[in-house]
Amino acid sequence: MGEAIVITSGKGGVGKTTTTANLGTALALQGKKVCLIDTDIGLRNLDVILGLENRIIYDLVDVLEGRCKVHQALVKDKRFDDMLYLLPAAQTTDKNAVNPEQMKELVTELKKEYDFVIIDCPAGIEQGYKNAVAGADRAIVVTTPEISAVRDADRIIGLLELEENIEPPKLIINRIRQHLMKAGEALDINEITTHLSIDLIGIIADDESVISSSNRGEPVVMNPANPAAQGYRNIARRLLGESVPLMTMDKQGTGVFSKIKAIFSK
Amino acid sequence: MGSAGDEFLKNLVYIRGTKEGLVLQFDDQCAYADLLSELKAKVSDPALDGSAEVQLHLGYRYCTEAQYKEIVSTIESNSHLRVAKMRSEVISVEESNKRIHERQSETYVGIVRSGQVVKAEGDLVVVGDVNPNGRVVAGGNIYVLGRLKGIAHAGANGNREAVIAASWLEATHLMIDDLIETMTDELTVLSEQPEMECAYLHSNGQNIVIDRLQELRFIRPQISTFKGGS
Repeated sequence: MGEAIVITSGKGGVGKTTTTANLGTALALQGKKVCLIDTDIGLRNLDVILGLENRIIYDLVDVLEGRCKVHQALVKDKRFDDMLYLLPAAQTTDKNAVNPEQMKELVTELKKEYDFVIIDCPAGIEQGYKNAVAGADRAIVVTTPEISAVRDADRIIGLLELEENIEPPKLIINRIRQHLMKAGEALDINEITTHLSIDLIGIIADDESVISSSNRGEPVVMNPANPAAQGYRNIARRLLGESVPLMTMDKQGTGVFSKIKAIFSK
Repeated sequence: MGSAGDEFLKNLVYIRGTKEGLVLQFDDQCAYADLLSELKAKVSDPALDGSAEVQLHLGYRYCTEAQYKEIVSTIESNSHLRVAKMRSEVISVEESNKRIHERQSETYVGIVRSGQVVKAEGDLVVVGDVNPNGRVVAGGNIYVLGRLKGIAHAGANGNREAVIAASWLEATHLMIDDLIETMTDELTVLSEQPEMECAYLHSNGQNIVIDRLQELRFIRPQISTFKGGS
């Protein structure tokens, strides 16, 4: 029996879908069988980021309304031999086409076959959110070092704490820009974690290649040299129970130039 | 009624005059209807001609709201009389429980997060932070053992003596009874050091002011219920 993890944030655009794609991929690379569910019905993106858009035949709503079997709707990612699957969201309807009971049933069924079921939650706290958290055992809240994202994360954590079947949520701080944090222009990691007072499961550096690789349909985590990819890989290992120290953002530059620069700045 | 009965007939409504006006003492064992008819007779007595404030002493009789209103309107049917005060030795269990509840302090352990509301009838103790957009409401005082960064409403049922105290008072809004103070930068009461502070209603009844928590024992000595000690 696997476990279901919902990736949520409250605010839109902080990187839920990117996190879902990358964490799923990182877990698949660790040899776990992973199923990703996109619950953002009407505004689906996860398929695009994974580069699986044109392989979709059936979607989540088709499954829940009985137009097809679950395995018919699951899209296999051929890059990770039989380890990563996607259940895409429907695009032609809206969040009200699904209810939490249906989702719970579906997730329970998928947990029998997969080690991890990762649910990508839509922004907001309405029906879409309720559907997404219905079947989850654990929750990961994604935020960025911006006050608006942190406020919304606080709200969503409050709602998650009311859910009886979900473990206390964990926090990912995404898109960290070291120079802003150092200059005190952005909220620092400590400030965010004390404000939200939940456990931090990982931090992700802001990296332009996250955008470019998403646009190519290849999760950034596939490039092990990338600092954001390292962040995602570390989170995946922590999810599997390993204890991995929080990476230090200072050692970001691994290129020749930054190494030389580092020598001179000592 | 026979003459033999008369000598045993007690006065159901006993009127006596005091410095503060008339005191109407009611018999608390007789039937309500008898009491009312005697009251009617007594207040319509033309001898009661000077205007006076009346105090009612109900003794151990429990009156419902409707009965109480009936008594008052009966008395005030005499245009000279006005009921100023009512005293009763009994209250209903419901009322008593409500009063106990209002005096009790409730404790909430945890973080009051954005969008959450924590309410108490009496005093409220929050062990944890109140985050921005989180709201704590109490009929009595609010004590936050942590950072108060959200909205606090003390004395919500009309208690203007209520205070808001916090280890770290950085609320966005403070409310006492029906007064609201938005904690904007231009507010002069906003201190540089928000540690260990309390907010209360100024004696002018129009402003909420903030002071050091140490001053609370002088500002609201009645909050302390502790007796004795050495």
